[in-house]
Amino acid sequence: MIKIENLEKVYKTEEVETTALNGINLHVKEGEFVSIMGPSGCGKSTLLNVMGLLDKPERGSYKFIDTELLTLNDRERSNFRKRNMGFVFQNFNLIDELTVFENIELPLIYNKIPAGERKKLVNEIIERMNIVNRSGHFPQQLSGGQQQRVAVARALVTKPKLVLADEPTGNLDSSHGNEVMELLCELNETGTTIVMVTHSSHDASFSNRIINLKDGHVISEKINKSRSEELI
Amino acid sequence: MFRLNLKIALRNLWKNKTSSFINVIGLAIGLAACLMLLLYVTYEWNFDKQDKNSEHLYTVMTNIPGDDGKVAKTFEGSTTALGPLLKAEIPEIKHLARMNYLKQALIAVGDNGFKKLGKFAEPEILKLFNYQYINGNASTAMQNPKSVILTESTAKVLFGSTQVLNRTVRYQDKEDLTVSAVIKDLPDNTSATLKFDFLMPWAFYEMVDNSAKDLNWGNFSFVTMVSLDPKADLTKVNEKIEKVVKAHLEQANQPYFLYPFSKLHLYGKFENGVSVGGDIEQIYLFVGLAFGILMIACINFMNMATAKSEKRAKEVGIKKTIGANRVSLIMQFLTESMVLTFISVIVAIALLEIFLPTFNNLLNIRLSIRYFSASGWMWILGIVCLTGLIAGSYPAFYLSAFNPIQTLKRRIKSGGIFAINLRQVLVVGQFCFAIVLIISTMVIYRQIQFIKNKPVGFDVNALIEIPQEGELKTKFEVIKSQLLKSGAVTSMFQSSVGLSHRGQNFMDIRWDGMVKPQNTQLFNQLSTTYDFIKTNGIKLIEGRDFSEKFASDTAAVMVSASAIKAFGYENPIGKSVTVFGDKFNIIGVFDDYVWDSPYKSNNPMVVFFDENRTGTVTMRLNEANPIAQNIATITQITKQLNPAYPTEISFLNSIYLEKYNSEKTLGLLSNIFGGLAIFVSCLGLYGLVAYSAEQRTKEFGVRKVLGASLFNLMQLLSLSFVKMIIVSIVIAAPLSYYLMDEWLTKFEYHTEITWWIIPVAGFGTLLMALVTVSFQAYKSANANPVDALKYE
Repeated sequence: MIKIENLEKVYKTEEVETTALNGINLHVKEGEFVSIMGPSGCGKSTLLNVMGLLDKPERGSYKFIDTELLTLNDRERSNFRKRNMGFVFQNFNLIDELTVFENIELPLIYNKIPAGERKKLVNEIIERMNIVNRSGHFPQQLSGGQQQRVAVARALVTKPKLVLADEPTGNLDSSHGNEVMELLCELNETGTTIVMVTHSSHDASFSNRIINLKDGHVISEKINKSRSEELI
Repeated sequence: MFRLNLKIALRNLWKNKTSSFINVIGLAIGLAACLMLLLYVTYEWNFDKQDKNSEHLYTVMTNIPGDDGKVAKTFEGSTTALGPLLKAEIPEIKHLARMNYLKQALIAVGDNGFKKLGKFAEPEILKLFNYQYINGNASTAMQNPKSVILTESTAKVLFGSTQVLNRTVRYQDKEDLTVSAVIKDLPDNTSATLKFDFLMPWAFYEMVDNSAKDLNWGNFSFVTMVSLDPKADLTKVNEKIEKVVKAHLEQANQPYFLYPFSKLHLYGKFENGVSVGGDIEQIYLFVGLAFGILMIACINFMNMATAKSEKRAKEVGIKKTIGANRVSLIMQFLTESMVLTFISVIVAIALLEIFLPTFNNLLNIRLSIRYFSASGWMWILGIVCLTGLIAGSYPAFYLSAFNPIQTLKRRIKSGGIFAINLRQVLVVGQFCFAIVLIISTMVIYRQIQFIKNKPVGFDVNALIEIPQEGELKTKFEVIKSQLLKSGAVTSMFQSSVGLSHRGQNFMDIRWDGMVKPQNTQLFNQLSTTYDFIKTNGIKLIEGRDFSEKFASDTAAVMVSASAIKAFGYENPIGKSVTVFGDKFNIIGVFDDYVWDSPYKSNNPMVVFFDENRTGTVTMRLNEANPIAQNIATITQITKQLNPAYPTEISFLNSIYLEKYNSEKTLGLLSNIFGGLAIFVSCLGLYGLVAYSAEQRTKEFGVRKVLGASLFNLMQLLSLSFVKMIIVSIVIAAPLSYYLMDEWLTKFEYHTEITWWIIPVAGFGTLLMALVTVSFQAYKSANANPVDALKYE
């Protein structure tokens, strides 16, 4: 589904130039759950941002089911993103002024889904995420685990082809962290492709494949046999 | 989407109560001030424009020629002979009516008598203006010479009803007139020349006043109004008028011209016969003031919104990530500012309702919000949208431009260098405006004080005047002796006009040794009998007052010092001048006194002796008695001898105070709105400091743990804001000096801008800003550092 070739990204400040991605090649199949690992500053979040069309690389190619995405303009990128991708962040990034229901509904509004259908879709996902009794609450009134469930629900409500998760358990204790990982696994089992950046090898063990980055290069790739068999 | 934006806006307002309060109150004050001034401006702008014919109405203006072929004076006034000539010769004129200036006159039903503004006019006035008839109609209202048209309120005052057709009223206790129509009251913003309480036919005027009957070219005491054919070209019509007048009158040296009547109120100042503005300048000033204050409030909103950008950045990042485009974000932020403006306008209307009566009292007008006028609401809606857009546009474009990755990673610097600079520029702009207003207020106040302290030339205290009407004209000597005997007054005189008056100018005067073939300077005149100088106390430089001992005084004049200067007489007493062809001997020279505008030197004056030219009685009260007792005695005696007329006593000192009214209004308005500008600016400053303090809570905690004192921290927080105020002072001081210097040159007599005004205004503003900043700085610097560090 995803073909990334020779991707290069350089950050420039007045004094220094930092190469965040240095000729990355990466293929992700449809329905795969890929973890990206590596030390701080290795470029894994940059890679995720480029994959999520939040950042532009200097060179390279990024094909999503045969569509080259790096040639799109801002408006086309924004449209492509809202139709095909969902995001889960470490710090949840929910909008404090909106209730759980409204936070989940927001991407549907941007996708111009009619109100009746929006309600149906949001209720479905709320039920699936087991947060029905929280739908009228504001984010501050929820625990970290519950907030991340809401964030996952928001990422999934548009039924995206790809979910990008940036350290989704980073702000959670281990039991809440496991809950979220299990949720992502369930999702993956229903066919959603997931790319996750993580520091935790425990979290990475939930994925089919683990890619290790260092200094902007892919230095190793490991197939998680127990999970990849399921995929095959 | 709109509903969601509205929801976010309302929740945000509720969540950030302090900044919402500052924004709403600031904007409400700004809007209330703006609406109040705009109400006033609309009132002034619509002067004489209420009638649907108003754009085709013109009044005849007269140019008085001066030296070097220039025009010395232009005024709204014309002669009785002009009207019939124009009507016969200028086909573009559709309707024409001659009329007199308004005059207070007695109108009574039985014993129920009142002094009201009466006017005489030719019947075509009813075709020039579309009066709204409650009773009667335009075709019959002026048929009978002895008829009168009453306004609604006059009819109610006289009869208690408007159903009074064919009832009789008594005019000046002499003539009975039949009510031929009752019309709706004229709008408040109608020019003084036209705002009558009752209107009488010209034919009746000819019966009671010979000067109306006589077709003459020398008496300018009348007004001629015309309506022109809509297709007529004013310039060509005026050219025709000049030709026609010259053809009929060889020595016509006063060219007449038509001037749009509805323009006269605001564009009534003429230089060399050409309109050079007038009160419109004040209108521009007020519009500037109105939008200036609104702008200050909008700047508060912008500054608070961009200062809070760090908080909002996360929201922008999330929304962009999940699919929002920039337009939808801009719409969201604009919705927020619109909601805020909408709430503010409700508060503003409440404020307006509370303060409008006071404002009306101060300016002596009647403004009100017309809740049932669609155009009024369109205006308010327009201002709300404009305010919302101005206040919201910068934050909307600024916030919606954030990069989602940076915002989500909290990498956004609070505002960035550009934003901080712009915020500073806006604060500096706000305070500049406020300081200019403070300095202007001080200069205007000093100018008024300067003129007030300038001697008028005689002691105005203890002087009163009453109109000389009815028996007061014929039995003046009787009343005089009775009043003197009563001890209420020490001295009194009759005169053609009061000591303070306008007009009464003439040019037909010749003196010995005059070089020019004709005099080109305007002289002022007044006619009196005995005790003129004795009563008013004007300084007599040479000679004497009129006296019963000299029978020859009927052919004598007293003249002012500036008149002597014009004549060039070295020993004026006994010398003669020729006025209107008659020769008069100068028997006295008195010091110039202020009879017209106190801001410029007044024309030289000639005082004649003439028993028949009555008008006003001036008396000096006996200061040995309490004022109330004197007034009671005078009222009793005049009422006894002149029962038909109510006794109207005016104090000379209040008459002279009225001369400062226009500048007083200006001073008052710049005082009120300058104060508001400072208040709203400080409110914004408070909000900014509060936010800056909140952002630096952790830093303050750390500094305090490391040993910083309360003063150190206050200094840290206040310094950057104080710097901005100082920059404002540096910019505003020379600017206001220049503006006020220009303003002062408008007056022949004016004060100077003293050096201390600028430091006083500067330090005053700095002090207020410092108090505002310190309050917040103290609060945050005094907080427990442990709380601050736990916060993270």
